[in-house]
Amino acid sequence: MIKVKGLEKWFGDLHVLKEIDLIINPSEVVVIIGASGSGKSTLLRCINFLERFKKGIIEIDDVVIDNNNEKMINKMRTHVGMVFQHFNLFPHMTVLQNVIEGPTQVKGMSKKDAIEVGKYYLDKVGLSDKEEAYPSMLSGGQKQRVAIARALAMEPSVILFDEPTSALDPELVGEVLAVMKNLAKEGMTMVVVTHEMGFAREVADRVIYMDEGRIVEEGCPTKIFDNPQTERTKEFLSQIW
Amino acid sequence: MDYEFSALVKFFPFFLPAALMTIKITIAGILMGLILGLLAAFCRISNNRLLNIPAAIYIYIIRGTPLLLQLLFIYFGLRGLFGFKAFTSAVLGLGIHNGAYISEIFRGAIQSIALGQMEAARSLGMTYQKAMLRIILPQAFKRAIPPLGNQFIIALKDSSLASAITINELLLKSQQLYSANFMMMEMLTVAALFYLLYTSIFTWMFNKIEAKLAVSGSR
Repeated sequence: MIKVKGLEKWFGDLHVLKEIDLIINPSEVVVIIGASGSGKSTLLRCINFLERFKKGIIEIDDVVIDNNNEKMINKMRTHVGMVFQHFNLFPHMTVLQNVIEGPTQVKGMSKKDAIEVGKYYLDKVGLSDKEEAYPSMLSGGQKQRVAIARALAMEPSVILFDEPTSALDPELVGEVLAVMKNLAKEGMTMVVVTHEMGFAREVADRVIYMDEGRIVEEGCPTKIFDNPQTERTKEFLSQIW
Repeated sequence: MDYEFSALVKFFPFFLPAALMTIKITIAGILMGLILGLLAAFCRISNNRLLNIPAAIYIYIIRGTPLLLQLLFIYFGLRGLFGFKAFTSAVLGLGIHNGAYISEIFRGAIQSIALGQMEAARSLGMTYQKAMLRIILPQAFKRAIPPLGNQFIIALKDSSLASAITINELLLKSQQLYSANFMMMEMLTVAALFYLLYTSIFTWMFNKIEAKLAVSGSR
């Protein structure tokens, strides 16, 4: 479970996150939507401390994470997976090496066990036949599925998705969303920043609409999409549909 | 002036010890430069001022003054203090000099690796050091290969400046010979051929390394 309390974030003079309070429950799929610059990616990156913040508390699995305790942050990150917009696969490693890098190097798992785990998750994302390929040989959709397998191989309690389909050609979006839908079905806790409203409507337990660094509205997809309460949400949705 | 081609062959054997000396100080200088360069590059990208300021000063001074001056400074200046031999002075001079340039090569290569690589590694729970070692450096080394090859060739040719501090390398040898036999062009030609041979070997080696790295994993 993730608890965010009173989070405030500045980039220099720019106040990008304002009084953010958020709770993510186990097995919940939360989709964060909003215009670019609304702070949704920054919020996601604050949760695993890729961005450091001035004020606020983040509690993960009942542990308050200390901003200055690198050891604690590293440990927390083994439970909090992250999938990036630009995949960020390690180009000098094969697909399988990418996936077992975390388990072997961070969790101290034996190579043999890690390969077993890695193969299991590559199979899950439908890329068993690409084990020995290098990332440069894959399509964008395949790269992102490897990135999801890499996150899964750490067996995290939650995965953060930062616009996972935004860098993909339109015809490759579906395969990534399909993998994510499967994960949601299996009960993985997910926080997803995305512009895929269809995915949000179909998969999300809760949708959060952010604007100018604030959570403006949140609720179940039907409420947000069919019956938005604020003018700003209405306006945003009218622009994207 | 007559040019005696036969002199090239005749005097070739006299150059062999000097050719050995040239490659010895070059390789020793490069190895020392690589170690110093890597250390200085890490200091330079560190957020710790106690590390990055001294590294910046080192690079500033070495890049801002001529190698010949540095060699004379070490040989005549520090020799009295530490009792360096000419060979030690030459290797130190070349090593410190190349270290400054190599550190900038490494720094550029490390900083050219997309930030997302570090973030992905850290998001798996890796420490900064481990992410650097396993994710950033292997990619950075690959990018550093072409400029490093360039620097090694420069180091080889710069080793001729060690002639000014009595190192009996190729250039000094040719000077000694032509002041005795007055065949200046011929003796310089022999030295030039040795340099060309060495640079050819360096170039060939670096092409091999680049080709090998290109096969094992590319972007």
